[in-house]
Amino acid sequence: MSNLDKSTALSLLRQMMVIRDFEETADKLCLRGKVPGGMHNSSGQEAVAVGTLSAIAKDDVIATTHRSHHHTLAKGYSAKSVMAELFTKATGISHGRGGSMHLAEVTEGHFGGNGIVGAGVGIAMGAALGIQHIGDKKIAVGFVGDGGMNTGRTWESINMASIWKLPLIILVDNNQYAVETFVGRVTGGGDLAKRASGFGLPAYNIDGQDVLEVRKYVTEARERALAGEGPTFINALTYRYYGHNVGEKGQYRTQEEIAQWRTTQDPIDKFTGVVISSGFATQAEVDELRASVRKEIDEAVAYAESSPEPEIASITQGVDSGKLGVQL
Amino acid sequence: MEEIFVPALGMAMDNAMLLEWLKQPGDTVNAGDVVAVIETDKTTLDLPAETSGVLGKHRYAANEEVPAGNTIAVVLAPGEVE
Ligand SMILES: Cc1ncc(C[n+]2csc(CCOP(=O)(O)OP(=O)(O)O)c2C)c(N)n1
Ligand SMILES: [Mg+2]
Repeated sequence: MSNLDKSTALSLLRQMMVIRDFEETADKLCLRGKVPGGMHNSSGQEAVAVGTLSAIAKDDVIATTHRSHHHTLAKGYSAKSVMAELFTKATGISHGRGGSMHLAEVTEGHFGGNGIVGAGVGIAMGAALGIQHIGDKKIAVGFVGDGGMNTGRTWESINMASIWKLPLIILVDNNQYAVETFVGRVTGGGDLAKRASGFGLPAYNIDGQDVLEVRKYVTEARERALAGEGPTFINALTYRYYGHNVGEKGQYRTQEEIAQWRTTQDPIDKFTGVVISSGFATQAEVDELRASVRKEIDEAVAYAESSPEPEIASITQGVDSGKLGVQL
Repeated sequence: MEEIFVPALGMAMDNAMLLEWLKQPGDTVNAGDVVAVIETDKTTLDLPAETSGVLGKHRYAANEEVPAGNTIAVVLAPGEVE
């Protein structure tokens, strides 16, 4: 923690608070029918997103999963523009075309969420191949869930990244469940880092509830990638507090298990402890920070509600490169 | 004041049928008590109170359609009025 300064610490804490408040607010709005198509709540997984995105550069590429609000907010998109996208409004980050599951801004290195489990690593691997080909000084991060760890395309992509020494980080947002399936029940060999290391790349199992640990591993992996030393595999152990999708009434885990993670492993509580014990803020200042986040999310909801729907006349925009002249 | 509402579930849920009220206006409810039962196009669903208090007005009658997201009743804490 030696190189952690006050403004960085407070920014990491605030970003995690924004994600938590955003998700809990959006979840409620979803149940009220305000968010078409539902959403996947990432509450509990804030440190994975903020630790990763704070350790990479603005024009590095990310490709993510169906659960991507936290990655998107941590990349620096405003709560307003993400909330507006959930409401499928013209002011949203994908101009209302994407909704919750397809947050994207490809011109800024956000290659999007998507509905295909395990696709994020393949998309990021392709981006990394492009980066290497062009000779850019940047990297790509592919997020994948524990469920996506058992898809073939993910391992094909990891293998190619390894043999071609691509500037890629494979970041497993391992919340321990794939819908109702516990990771331990479906992981042959039991150890994901060990599995990955068989492909010939450095691989680590880390604490995904510790934002500084995630940040440290990603920082090092990025340096390796930029130095031409190839990809790194990081399996960040975390936990999702809510159901797989909004409104899920699951019977596959106990309330005690959820409470245990929330009370002893919460990433925001843990980092609040670090911030206070390092003398970066008092409890009162942390409370003020939380209040300012609350206000920001309220404003995001008001912005999303009052924003216009996309114009019907714009429906062909964004369908192609703009050069084919697609017309209604 | 807690609002008990019909949750919007799934991709295209528009309405639910309010099958039955298990609590009446003025009844004391405890957190976890089922207040009403609804039926969606997929399933029947218990709607429990999350807080304890006194039930307010029935805003829909049994056998009435309720648009997803709408509040069907509130649970009033001591001193609150609807
Ligand atoms: C290829 C594919 N198979 C199955 C599904 C259905 N599906 C959607 S999410 C999901 C679970 C994904 O679990 P995980 O990768 O751990 O991500 P998490 O939801 O925990 O973030 C499944 C099986 C899908 N969308 N795509
Ligand atoms: Mg998972």
